[in-house]
Amino acid sequence: MSTYERSQHDRALYETADPVIELRDAEVVFEMDRGVSRVLDNVTLDIQRNEVLGIVGESGSGKSMLASAMLDAVVDPGVLSGQVTYHPADGHPVDVLELSERELLKHRWEDISMVFQGAMSSFNPTMEVGEHFEETIEAHDYDIGAGMDRARELLEDLYLDPDRVLPSYPHELSGGMKQRALIALSLVLEPDVLVMDEPTAALDLLMQRSILSLLESLKEKYDLTLIFITHDLPLVAELADRLAVMYAFELVEIGATEEILRRGSHPYTRSLLNATPNLDAPLEEMRPIEGAAPDPVDVPSGCSYHPRCPLADDECVASDPAFQAVSDEHSVACYHWQDAPDAIPFNVEVEVAEDCPQTDKEGECLPDERTADSSEPEPQQAENRAETDGGDQ
Amino acid sequence: MNWVLKRTGQSVFTVWAVATISFGLIRLMPGGAEDIIVARIHESQGSDVPAEVIREQVQHRINIDPNAPIHEAYLQYMGGLVRGDFGHSVYLNRDVATILAEALPWTIFLMAISTLLTFGLALSLGAMMAYKEGTRFDISQTGVAILTTSIPYYVAAVLFIAYLGNRTSIFPARGRYPAVVEPGFTIQFIVGSFHHAILPAASFVLTVYGLTALAMRGNSIQILGEDYVRVARLRGLSDRRIALRYVGRNAVLPMYTSLLISIGFMFGGSIILEELFQYPGIGYYMYQAIEYQDMPLMMGTFLVITVAVVIALFVGDATYSKLDPRIKSGDDSESY
Ligand code: SF4
Repeated sequence: MSTYERSQHDRALYETADPVIELRDAEVVFEMDRGVSRVLDNVTLDIQRNEVLGIVGESGSGKSMLASAMLDAVVDPGVLSGQVTYHPADGHPVDVLELSERELLKHRWEDISMVFQGAMSSFNPTMEVGEHFEETIEAHDYDIGAGMDRARELLEDLYLDPDRVLPSYPHELSGGMKQRALIALSLVLEPDVLVMDEPTAALDLLMQRSILSLLESLKEKYDLTLIFITHDLPLVAELADRLAVMYAFELVEIGATEEILRRGSHPYTRSLLNATPNLDAPLEEMRPIEGAAPDPVDVPSGCSYHPRCPLADDECVASDPAFQAVSDEHSVACYHWQDAPDAIPFNVEVEVAEDCPQTDKEGECLPDERTADSSEPEPQQAENRAETDGGDQ
Repeated sequence: MNWVLKRTGQSVFTVWAVATISFGLIRLMPGGAEDIIVARIHESQGSDVPAEVIREQVQHRINIDPNAPIHEAYLQYMGGLVRGDFGHSVYLNRDVATILAEALPWTIFLMAISTLLTFGLALSLGAMMAYKEGTRFDISQTGVAILTTSIPYYVAAVLFIAYLGNRTSIFPARGRYPAVVEPGFTIQFIVGSFHHAILPAASFVLTVYGLTALAMRGNSIQILGEDYVRVARLRGLSDRRIALRYVGRNAVLPMYTSLLISIGFMFGGSIILEELFQYPGIGYYMYQAIEYQDMPLMMGTFLVITVAVVIALFVGDATYSKLDPRIKSGDDSESY
């Protein structure tokens, strides 16, 4: 394979047609007493303009770091390296890591903005909600009148009454109201991209759902690109166009949502799908993944999933797998992805199973797939299957 | 509104209780306060005045009639207090009310300076230490704060008097204002008053600021780690606004109560401090009253200190909700 062909081939795996953000080899390290902690490991990824990208992973998989990296907002003493390029709708691409402190302050919130995991505590408790909007508009030298009009419109879009919310103190709002007010605050300067890190984690299911549908309409109305980071795969699957799965501070699989749900090819993705019930399934059907998430100081050699992977062999221990294309818009970092469906069968049919052709060669979608499976399942899978089969039949 | 009524009631009750207790103490003192006073006067005036005459004078002066039944005596005494009649100081031979009215402004002046300086120094230093957490500056200032806090204010006062007051003439070591200046709204008088207040105030400030500074440091470090500070930074707010409106404001909140408690502490401390510096304020007179067993004066100063502390706490409670919107003064009682 010539170098040219190779690079052409690689490119197809992570590039999109009209990216709004390009991440290349993004890496975040923390110097610690017991060694270097690499909490984001060479992530290369394009975010397509106006898409909804879901980034899924366990807690401690580096997904929050990925979010911070997109804004060059990694907290001290973390060091971000690699390349982050922002493509405005019109104008030249911006190398985010080369921006001066001033430019960076402008870039954040005006071009790309973020809703944090700690949404409940993202407002200053001794300041009215409205003042948060005002000070943000002022700090960026936007017109205060037009800015506040926009704030009111955004709040209304989110089914909040501006006259009630703006003069309130944060503690006077419910969790869901605060969350929605925070989304409005993040959009007040008309950014192109909104990064959300577990935006619904502290909310009840009903509120999570309603926020999802609000986000969908906001996205349409304001031409937003949404990056939705969560541990809750079924939740984000309802909203996202594409899903990216993170494990041990790396991206392990990325593809269109349907593709991932139907033909998730990384052993970890498949276990993750088994570990999370879909929204309608009872909680008891959760299948925990055996083993612990790796320590960022001491990530396993080769494929970092090998200690937990039923398919691991010497090759996996020796070297880190590169991305391989499963289909056009679906790629996975695993040597043995072709064997994964047999080794780790889905124990609960995902919702999209109905759309699945009955005679699928891969077989995951067939109702009898679980019983037809003859390969050696990992021990906890066997247990789970026993339960599921008993429960389902 | 309801809350104001309730809180006012509490305050009035506290003052009433203190007044009643002091009445009881005087009444119950072994030998009786009256006997002590009579004996004193007898000593000082010689025996040519008949004891009966003195006794009558004394009874008139201390506002407590030992022969009346206790409830009548009590009503008489409380009635006097309500009218502002604290009795007559035996030792100074002046009305207690006059002495207090003259002394109180000086104590308040001294305490206001001390409090403002203490909190000004402690809050800014604490916030700076938090921003520079872990640096040489932070570590050395923490050490200094712990060291100065462990020195009692009266030791500092004695050292100041000995080294700055008596050995050099930079600062006056005694008095409230220069002896050569007439009291009044003149530059000399005002400058002189501040000059005289420096050493007593410094004895307080330098030995008390440390704890507050360390508390402020801890609060600020905690607030600096809050999500809302991180979000504020990402929103592009200026460092100045974040320091004042986010970190400062929220870190100071829990210190507000300690500010009010320190007022009580300073009133208590003023007894020794004003005596050391011969600074005739409330504390100074209380010291004198104790030394000469001057009951009416003792009670008067005691009541003034009580009332001052009660007022400080009342104001604090009433204004806390203005500072922290999460606390409502109304029906919400969680902060008290
Ligand atoms: S590369 Fe090997 S160890 Fe890693 S996920 Fe694939 S099969 Fe498992």
